[in-house]
Amino acid sequence: MEVFQALQRLHMTIFSQSVSPCGKFLAAGNNYGQIAIFRYPCPCSPLSMSSGAWPSGGLMPPSSDTQAPLPFPFSLSAALSSEAKEESKKPMVTFQAHDGPVYSMVSTDRHLLSAGDGEVKAWLWAEILKKGCKELWRRQPPYRTSLEVPEINALLLMPKENLLILGGGDCQLHAMDLETGTFMWALRGHTDYIHCLALRERSPEVLSGGEDGAVRLWDLRTAKEVQTIEVYKHEECSRPHNGRWIGCLATDSDWMVCGGGPALTLWHLRSSTPTTVFPMRAPQKHVTFYQDLILSAGQGRCVNQWQLSGELKAQVPGSSPGLLSLSLNQQPAAPECKVLTAAGNSCRVDVFTNLGYRAFSLSF
Amino acid sequence: MSSESSKKRKPKVIRSDGAPAEGKRTRSDTEQEGKYYSEEAEVDLRDPGRDYELYKYTCQELQRLMAEIQDLKSRGGKDAAVEIEDRRIQSCVHFMTLKKLNRLAHIRLKKGRDQTHEAKQKVDAYHLQLQNLLYEVMHLQKEITKCLEFKSKHEEIDLVSLEEFYKEAPPDISKAEVTMGDPHQQTLARLDWELEQRKRLAEKYRECLSNKEKILKEIEVKKEYLSSLQPRLNSIMQASLPVQEYLFMPFDQAHKQYETARHLPPPLYVLFVQATAYGQACDKTLSVAIEGSVDEAKALFKPPEDSQDDESDSDAEEEQTTKRRRPTLGVQLDDKRKEMLKRHPLSVLLDLKCKDGSVLHLTFHYLMNLNIMTVKAKVTTTTELITPISAGDLLSPDSVLSCLYPGDHGKKTPNPANQYQFDKVGILTLRDYVLDLGHPYLWVQKLGGLHFPKEQPQHTVIADHSLSASHMETTMKLLKTRVQSRLALHKQFASLEHGIVPVTSDCHHLFPAKVVSRLVKWVTITHEDYTELHFTKDIVEAGLAEDTNLYYMALVERGTAKLQAAVVLNPGYSSIPPIFQLCLNWKGEKTNNNDDNIRAMESEVNVCYKELCGPRPGHQLLTNQLQRLCVLLDVYLETESHDDSVEGPKEFPQEKMCLRLFRGPSRMKPFKYNHPQGFFSHR
Repeated sequence: MEVFQALQRLHMTIFSQSVSPCGKFLAAGNNYGQIAIFRYPCPCSPLSMSSGAWPSGGLMPPSSDTQAPLPFPFSLSAALSSEAKEESKKPMVTFQAHDGPVYSMVSTDRHLLSAGDGEVKAWLWAEILKKGCKELWRRQPPYRTSLEVPEINALLLMPKENLLILGGGDCQLHAMDLETGTFMWALRGHTDYIHCLALRERSPEVLSGGEDGAVRLWDLRTAKEVQTIEVYKHEECSRPHNGRWIGCLATDSDWMVCGGGPALTLWHLRSSTPTTVFPMRAPQKHVTFYQDLILSAGQGRCVNQWQLSGELKAQVPGSSPGLLSLSLNQQPAAPECKVLTAAGNSCRVDVFTNLGYRAFSLSF
Repeated sequence: MSSESSKKRKPKVIRSDGAPAEGKRTRSDTEQEGKYYSEEAEVDLRDPGRDYELYKYTCQELQRLMAEIQDLKSRGGKDAAVEIEDRRIQSCVHFMTLKKLNRLAHIRLKKGRDQTHEAKQKVDAYHLQLQNLLYEVMHLQKEITKCLEFKSKHEEIDLVSLEEFYKEAPPDISKAEVTMGDPHQQTLARLDWELEQRKRLAEKYRECLSNKEKILKEIEVKKEYLSSLQPRLNSIMQASLPVQEYLFMPFDQAHKQYETARHLPPPLYVLFVQATAYGQACDKTLSVAIEGSVDEAKALFKPPEDSQDDESDSDAEEEQTTKRRRPTLGVQLDDKRKEMLKRHPLSVLLDLKCKDGSVLHLTFHYLMNLNIMTVKAKVTTTTELITPISAGDLLSPDSVLSCLYPGDHGKKTPNPANQYQFDKVGILTLRDYVLDLGHPYLWVQKLGGLHFPKEQPQHTVIADHSLSASHMETTMKLLKTRVQSRLALHKQFASLEHGIVPVTSDCHHLFPAKVVSRLVKWVTITHEDYTELHFTKDIVEAGLAEDTNLYYMALVERGTAKLQAAVVLNPGYSSIPPIFQLCLNWKGEKTNNNDDNIRAMESEVNVCYKELCGPRPGHQLLTNQLQRLCVLLDVYLETESHDDSVEGPKEFPQEKMCLRLFRGPSRMKPFKYNHPQGFFSHR
C-alpha cells in the first residue's frame, strides 16, 4: 500500500522531540503514536558563531549557563556530506509507543519519558535502539472518570527533587516521584486544559500555561498557586480573534516569555507586567531562551529569532508549513552535535547546524 | 754446336736432293717399292739403340773426315788432292749411311703412330661397352625396386582373423597342414574363404530386398483401405449432427472452435486455452470466443511464392515510377507504419458477466510485427444508464481498465524491442495509436504468456502457458472488481451531480442524523487544472497526482462557508482511496498550510478512510468520504471559538454534542463521531 503510506507521511505531525543524555540521538514522536530515533549527523569542526552584542538595557540577567556565548557549531562540509547520505536522514529505529499522538517527551540521564494519550511511559535509552524494545514502566495519573481519557500535553523534569510534573487535559498538574513511581499531589486551578509547563529554577516554582488564557505560578514547597497572570486581559498582547490560549511558555527565573492566542510577550515576573510584545501575527507554539536571544516557532514555516528588545533578528525558513517544537542539543557529552532541530506539521525534522540556515531535514 | 748446324743442314741437303730423288723414283717405281717394303721389314729387325750408336759413329767419322780435308787443303800439296778425293768418297759413304738411318727413323715414327692409334681405338671401344653395361645395371635396379614396391589388391580386403578363419572355414579351404607353415598359401586360403562368405551374404541381401518389396505392397493395400474409410466416417458425422443438436451437446461447435484456435498466433492461443480452462474450472460466467476470418489467418502461413514474384514485379514497377512518385515519401512511410501495426486477423473475445448482469467485453488482438497483445474493453449493462457528465471517463473503453495493476497505464509498449522498430518508421510512441489498436497492458501480455524483461531488448519472446495460468485468476477477479467499482462509482456520480450524497442504509451509523452542510457541486476537472490549484501542491509533490488518475472538484457549503475539495480518484478505486485536498473559504482562506484543523480534516478522510469503506467490497467509499466531509465541516464551523469582541450571535450555533472543544498542542477539534451515543470526541 504505497499510496496509503504516502498519505500517512503526508498527514504526519511531529509533536515532540527529545535529545538523548549522550547527546548523540534525537527522539521524535508523531501523531500516530510512533517514536523515531535519529542519529545526529556530527559536524566535524565546530566553529564559534558570533552571537551579536548584548541587548542594551541589561535585560539579560546573569545566569548559570550563560557566561560566554556558546560556540554554535556549523560546518558546511559536514552538512553537505550528510546531505549526500540519504540513509543517515532516516530514523535508526521507529517503534509504536502510544496509541494516540506523542505530545511530549523528556529525557532523564537514563530514561526517555514519553506521554500523550493519558499515560506516561519510560524507555531505557540504553536499549531503545534494539529491536522490539518494550517500555520500562507506564503510569497513569489519577483521573476523574470521564468518557474521554485526558491527554498529557507537557512533561517537566525537576532533577533536584527527582520529580516529574505532568500537565494536560484534566486541567491539573500532577507530580510523580520518579523514584517510586507514585503520584504525590495534584495542583488544581486551571479552568481549561494545560498546554505548557516551565521551571523557574532559582525559586523552585513551576509555571503553567493553559487553554484558559492564564499563566499560573506554583510553589512546589507548599504546593500552592502563588501568582496568576491572565495574559488575554492585557490589551498590549490580547488578540481575541485568535483566542485566549497560551500555547508556549519559557522562563529564565526573572523573565517569562509566553505566546499563543495572545501575542508573544516578554513578562517581568516579579512585577507581572508585559515588557516587550513581539510583533508576530501567527500564534506561536514553542518558545525558548537561547543565550541573549529568544527563539520561537509556530504557525508558518520560520524559526524566529528575537532580540529581547522586540526586534526580529532573523527568520529562518524550515520545510514544514507549521512548527510545533524546537530542540537545542546542549548536552555537554556531545559538543560536536550542537544543533537546533525543529519539527511540526510534516514528517520532517529540520536540522539547523547554524542558527542562520537550515542544513537539511531528517525524515520519518 | 757444329753437330747441330750439321743437323740443320741435313734436311736442306735432303731437300736439295729430294727433287731428283723423286724423279728417280718415278723412273724406277717397282724397284723402289720393293726397297721400301724391305726397309719396312728391316726396321723390325734392327735395334734402334744400335742404330743410334751407328748414327753417332758415322757423325764422328764425318767430322773427322771433314777436319782432315780442311787440314789437307790448308797445307795444300799435290797429293792432297788425291787424299781429299779419297776422303770425299769415304764421306759419301757415310752420308749414305746417314740417309738410311733417317729413313729408318721416319718409318719407325710412322709405325709408332699407327700403333698408338690402334691402341686408342681399342680403348674407346672398351669404354663404350662399359657405359652400356652401367646403363643396363641401372635399368635392372629400377626394375627391381619396382617389383619390390608392388602391392597386391588383396591387402585392402579386410579378412577375418586367423583364429576365426581356422575355426570356421571348412578344412578343404583352410588346409591347415599346408597353410600353417606357408604364409602365402595361408593368405590365398583366407582369400578363398572370404570370397565364399561374401557370396553367401550377397545371396541374403537379395532375399531381404524381395521381402521388403512384398511388405511395401502390403502397406499400399492397407492405405488404400484407410483412405476409403474417411468419407464414410464423414458421412456418419454429418448424420449425427441433428442428434447432437437435439440432445444439447455442442461437441461439434467446441470442436470447430478448437479447429479455429489452431490458426491463432501463439499468444492468443495461450490466452484462449487458459481462459477456456479457467472458465470451465473456476468461473462459469466467463465465455470465450474467437472472432475474425480464418481464411486470412491461413493465408498468413502460406509460403509467399506468388507474392515474391509480385514483389519483384512491383519493385521493377516502382523503379520505373519512383521518379514520378518521389514527393510521396510520406505515403510510403505511412504504409510502413500500417504494416508494422498490423493485427492478426483473428482475435479472442472474452465476456465476463458480473452478478448484476453487466458484462465486460474484452477483445484481445495480437500485433504480429510488434509481438505484443492489446485489449479493447467495453462494458454493457442490463439497464440503460443515465450517464452523468462527470462520469464520462468512468466506463470509457480508453480508461476503464487503466492501472488494473499499479502503474499499468497501457500507453507504452511493454516490449522493449519495439522502440527500435518504431524509430525506423518514425513512430514516437504507441500512445497515439492505442485508441485504434487497443491498450497493450502488461497483464494482457501475461495472460498471453508473453514475458518481457525490463530494459532489455530481446527479440525472441515465446508464449508461455504457465505464465498465463499463474495470472489468469487474479486478473479475472481484478477485472470483475474493476467493472463493479466503476459501475458503483457511475451510480454514485449520478446522485452527486444533483447534490445528493447517496449514503446507503448500511452506512448510516457512520454519520450523525443531522448533517447541515450540503454538497453543492461535483464536477470533473482535468489533471492540469488540478495541478494548478494552490492547495494541492503537497499531493503533486508527493507524486500522487499522476495523469492516469481522474480528478474531480467538490464544493460543500454551509451558510457563508464554502469548502472546496479537490479529489484524486485513482483508477484502482476502491482498494486505493480517493484523496481529498481541502480549501475553506470562511473568514479568510484556510488550507492545510495555515490551519491545523483543515489538515486534520484531510487526514480524517484520507488516512482514516478504512472505517468509511462500508460493506465489502467498499464501493461506497467515495460517497461516505463526501458525507464525512460534510460532517467535518459542521464540526469545524460549530466549534470555531467565538470572538467576544464581535457583536451578535454566532453564525453557526453549536448543535453537535462535544466532550471538549480543543485538545492537544495543535488544538484539534473533536472530529470523531461515536455512533450509538452520538457525541463527538477527539481521535
